[in-house]
Amino acid sequence: MMSKELLGSSSNLNLSSLIADVERADAADISLDRTGKVRILRNFTIDLIEPFLKYGMYQAGISPQVSFGGYDTIYQDLLNLSPDQGRDPNTPDITVLSIMLDRLDPTCYAPGWTSVNVSEKVRELFDLAVERTNSLIAVNTFIPPFYREQGIALLHDVTDREYEICKLNEYVRKFVTERSSRIFLVDWERLVRILGEERSIDYRYWYTSQAPFKLEFLNLYATEISRLIRVSKGDVKKCLILDCDNTLWGGVVGEDGIEGIQLDPNEWPGTAFYRFQISILHLIERGVLIALCSKNNVQDVWSVLNSHPNCLLKREHIAAWKINWDNKASNISALAEELNLGLDSLVFIDDDPAQCELIKQSLPEVQVIQVPERLYNYPDLLHKAGLFDTLTVSKEDRNRTKLYLQEEERNLAQKSFSNIDEYLDSLEMCASIHRAHNHELARIAQLTQKTNQFNLTTRRYSTPEIAALQDDPSTAIFSLNVSDKFGDLGLTGVLIARRFGQSAEIDTFLLSCRILGRELEYLFVDYCLTALERTWNVNEWKALFIPTRKNQQTSTFWDDLDFQLLSESIDCKHYIASSETRRHFNKTFIEIQETG
Amino acid sequence: METQVKQIMSNTFSINIEKISDDSSPDSIANWDSLKHMQLILSLEEEFGIEFSDNEVVELVSFQKIIDALKRIA
Repeated sequence: MMSKELLGSSSNLNLSSLIADVERADAADISLDRTGKVRILRNFTIDLIEPFLKYGMYQAGISPQVSFGGYDTIYQDLLNLSPDQGRDPNTPDITVLSIMLDRLDPTCYAPGWTSVNVSEKVRELFDLAVERTNSLIAVNTFIPPFYREQGIALLHDVTDREYEICKLNEYVRKFVTERSSRIFLVDWERLVRILGEERSIDYRYWYTSQAPFKLEFLNLYATEISRLIRVSKGDVKKCLILDCDNTLWGGVVGEDGIEGIQLDPNEWPGTAFYRFQISILHLIERGVLIALCSKNNVQDVWSVLNSHPNCLLKREHIAAWKINWDNKASNISALAEELNLGLDSLVFIDDDPAQCELIKQSLPEVQVIQVPERLYNYPDLLHKAGLFDTLTVSKEDRNRTKLYLQEEERNLAQKSFSNIDEYLDSLEMCASIHRAHNHELARIAQLTQKTNQFNLTTRRYSTPEIAALQDDPSTAIFSLNVSDKFGDLGLTGVLIARRFGQSAEIDTFLLSCRILGRELEYLFVDYCLTALERTWNVNEWKALFIPTRKNQQTSTFWDDLDFQLLSESIDCKHYIASSETRRHFNKTFIEIQETG
Repeated sequence: METQVKQIMSNTFSINIEKISDDSSPDSIANWDSLKHMQLILSLEEEFGIEFSDNEVVELVSFQKIIDALKRIA
């Protein structure tokens, strides 16, 4: 990535070279694929975070724009936001509220202090932020005291500051999970736990300049904010591809046998592999797909997964596999194709440096991780890196492996039919098409972020942007939910249309790759357009095809629907159609449920 | 030590290292404001593994004064 080269190679934290690197990258003014706008509203001096934040964003391939609110003017800054900022191009992607407790409530050190009043203030501020911005919002917890005013005595009749702050933090966490899907937590309490007092707090600048944080803390804080931005921009890893020997377990199963491999939770180095497998189970819970790519006998691998008493990863967790002696680069490409995923959404782990190097060289988009030589760093590796971060985990995410395995059953079933219609008929498909429900908006935003192949315009929307469109009477969002006899495929199609008087434009049309090849795309479009022709009373449709590296398969989609090509350039094809001239579809093998 | 300090000042204020002289100060370096001063102090502390006191922090407002202080402490 270009930005990474610009940043130089200062791997260890060093403020002055970091500033120079960021200056250089800013001055070069290269256009990266993504821009990230951060607005920090604060009640203390947090300005020193800027170079760290910009550095983190450049590293993630995002052009940073960082701005600060006035010193201790969070209320005023929020109140001054224009109400229609949803349409303002300067609206930040994320509004960070940075709040120090002692600025919010100067009495917080006094004997007898309780958090009751301050939690009310916190709620007001957070509520105001949710009302006044359409962006994502990051808030923080507060730092519990390092020392107790009561000394070593544990007194029951005196209010305890530590207890009060922990209560306040619980309140913040609860607020974040319950209030809005746009609000996120950067847990200062946890960051301080990682670094400790010595490396987090600069008492000198705290008391003289209201700048309480040391550089290491600022760096960690900035990293967390960058992670939120990176993920909100759709940079999400979807699949973990694993080698087997010395990656999933210690030893070589082909030589050591199933009894000889190291996977004992109580005996080193089995401990490390066992704990690593636990961290994989957590990823599966969050919807990450697991694939295997190893040089083994297939039967050896399955017998470990099926019958080793300490092997937590089971065959049903594996969405796809290439277990053979072929080149791993071609195996990984084949896995990507099989799972319908872009190479940039894959992470590959192997213990063999030569294999890691091979993949880095031949498939640079794939993120490659080598099993650390210091094996005790292995179990927490994936959680620390935050590679598989997502903003939300939807129902579809949790079922993803199951969905892919159902897909395999479908593929097997397909082979027994002589023609496609017969097969589609046998699937007993049921499509539910309706105007988007509010609880679907996060999933719809997620699909606009993640769908690359069947996506006519590839317009990326955040959840707040989708929510704003949902509220806009001249815009309609449709969702498609599909199920068949093998199972529920979930919300897998989105169409967004905008009305301009007597005509309307199709802003977004996308389908998840898991429902392609069923002719649902035609049916879905036809249904939505027909419905809008009725409710909006429009008769002219405009449609676009915006080519990307990945959506070639949809380049003639509008032609197939008898839309008329108006103009064509390198970056866009414009089409037009009327309700009479466009093709209509009526597939008998799909039952449509009309809801909402 | 002089070169290290000059390099840090050059990075912090984004000016050419050649332009830094003994009497470089907020008067001669335009963007040497309070925030940049904080960055400068933190970078020097990081580089030399020291911590300036609150009194030293406000006094270190020229290249020469920084060098004098470092010689005294380090």
